[in-house]
Amino acid sequence: MREVAAFLSVLAMLALAGAARADVLVTDLSEHQVAIRSNFTGTQILLFGAVEARTPGSRAVNRDIIVVVQGPVRPVTVRKKERVGGLWINHDSVTYPNVPGYYAIASTRPLEVTTEPETLRSLRIGVENINPGTPSAYTIDGRTQILQPEAESAFWKALIRSQRREGLYLNLPGGVTFLGQTLFRATVDIPANVPVGLYTAKVYLLQNGEVIDTISSPLYIEKRGVERLIYRWAQSDPLLYGLIAVFIAAFAGWLASAVMGRR
Amino acid sequence: MQIYLPIAELPVSILTILAMGAAVGFLSGMFGIGGGFLMTPLLIFLGIPPAVAVGTQATQIVASSVTGALAHFARKSIDFKMGTVLLAGGLLGSVTGIYIFKMLTAIGQIDLAISVVYVGFLSVIGGMMMVESVKAIRAARGGVAAKRLGGHHSWIHGLPFKMRFRRSKLYISVIPPILVGYFVGVLSAIMGVGGGFILIPAMIYLLRMPTNVVIGTSFFQIVFVAAATGILHSVENQAVDIVLGFLLVVGGVIGAQYGVRMAEKLPAEQLRALLAAILLFIGLRLGYDLVITPDDLYTVVETRGAR
Repeated sequence: MREVAAFLSVLAMLALAGAARADVLVTDLSEHQVAIRSNFTGTQILLFGAVEARTPGSRAVNRDIIVVVQGPVRPVTVRKKERVGGLWINHDSVTYPNVPGYYAIASTRPLEVTTEPETLRSLRIGVENINPGTPSAYTIDGRTQILQPEAESAFWKALIRSQRREGLYLNLPGGVTFLGQTLFRATVDIPANVPVGLYTAKVYLLQNGEVIDTISSPLYIEKRGVERLIYRWAQSDPLLYGLIAVFIAAFAGWLASAVMGRR
Repeated sequence: MQIYLPIAELPVSILTILAMGAAVGFLSGMFGIGGGFLMTPLLIFLGIPPAVAVGTQATQIVASSVTGALAHFARKSIDFKMGTVLLAGGLLGSVTGIYIFKMLTAIGQIDLAISVVYVGFLSVIGGMMMVESVKAIRAARGGVAAKRLGGHHSWIHGLPFKMRFRRSKLYISVIPPILVGYFVGVLSAIMGVGGGFILIPAMIYLLRMPTNVVIGTSFFQIVFVAAATGILHSVENQAVDIVLGFLLVVGGVIGAQYGVRMAEKLPAEQLRALLAAILLFIGLRLGYDLVITPDDLYTVVETRGAR
């Protein structure tokens, strides 16, 4: 506990030191926990914040905000179909170890006019700049192979295309709106098929294309109530779970025939 | 009204699932089949992961075959001895099938395997049934009695380990029924079907069982094989969605009642021709998907586990 307090006070000092030089961000999320219950059909997260001007008299010119909401990473395999003997079958595949299950990016202006591509790349902002880890490519019989960069990037593009189609990768240029000089807000859609886990919402403040402050807040998306109970149970005691699922079904079948027999 | 499925991890419309359960239940009651071969593709089409579709589907098959088996038990049209022999093979087959399923999922060929097996079986069995039932309809119109099956001597009678099946009026080796059961068990685990549509023709044409005990015996064995498949899918892949299963069962049970009543109004040959047409249609539809160029050549899956 003491370490945490010490850490926080160091952070506060750093924040004050930084504050003397440039504008700083203050942000928060409408909710830090999204509960997936049986009626969950997706939701919206509202991110709001303000730019606190620490340099008196400075005007809010060329000021941009970029918001990145990123989901938990997990390994993902992309497979390419090829025609073999008239049938389309999965052929070559590429596995990426760290693919975010969700990635939304909102900005005040389109990213191209906000800052240089190099800045975006070095800060890993934008779907194209996600670092999915070292990909491993396999042939159809499971042997590893080396792919040409162009061939590999086709797999990565296919992954992004698929995630966009599912509504899991979002690009929202103009998704952040300023209310006056300092206040801003952004809403980000969380679709129903969203993976559960720890998310981070990162906000970047840019002035003339340079990042001058960032802030990040955690967001938990997790199953709650009956959903959580059933999921946990299926994981912790799958045998009993399976037996009961089958027993309920058999009982329903018996009930149906009992009702039918009476008629 | 939407409900979020805890294992499949996506929301579905309760009404859609109930309607699907009812429609498949209707056909299942009408034709005396489990209906898994219709339900699994439908579930996968809705976006349910294949493993969850297959595992959950097993529970729905348990429900509908318990109802079917009980009805046949009342009519004393189950050959328990034959059913038990088939079951012994079926349980072994189910265990094998689960491992094949896991292996195919790991190498990314499960979708292909499911489709190919479906296309093969549906078109062959649908075609055979269609030919046979058209002949029967013609014969009935011509006033000629259909040829009675059985009594033929074939290679099956040369096999050892003979056993007497009094209810089926058969004295044959246990090897063919065990193999048939095993084979159906494997398919049951891979395809998420009860396997009635394979088991019934196999019992009639291969084992030469009298038709009046075939459906009841098939239901009897399917109850246990589907139960084993459901439990194994739960243990191995944690892929049984109890909420989805419950909705399917409720819809299926209701639909089956109407299906049974409908079946009483239609003559058996026409019923079989109709089922053959449905099997052929689904087989061709799935076959078409394998051959045409897909919209996106790339598919994306989470690597860890089957989910």
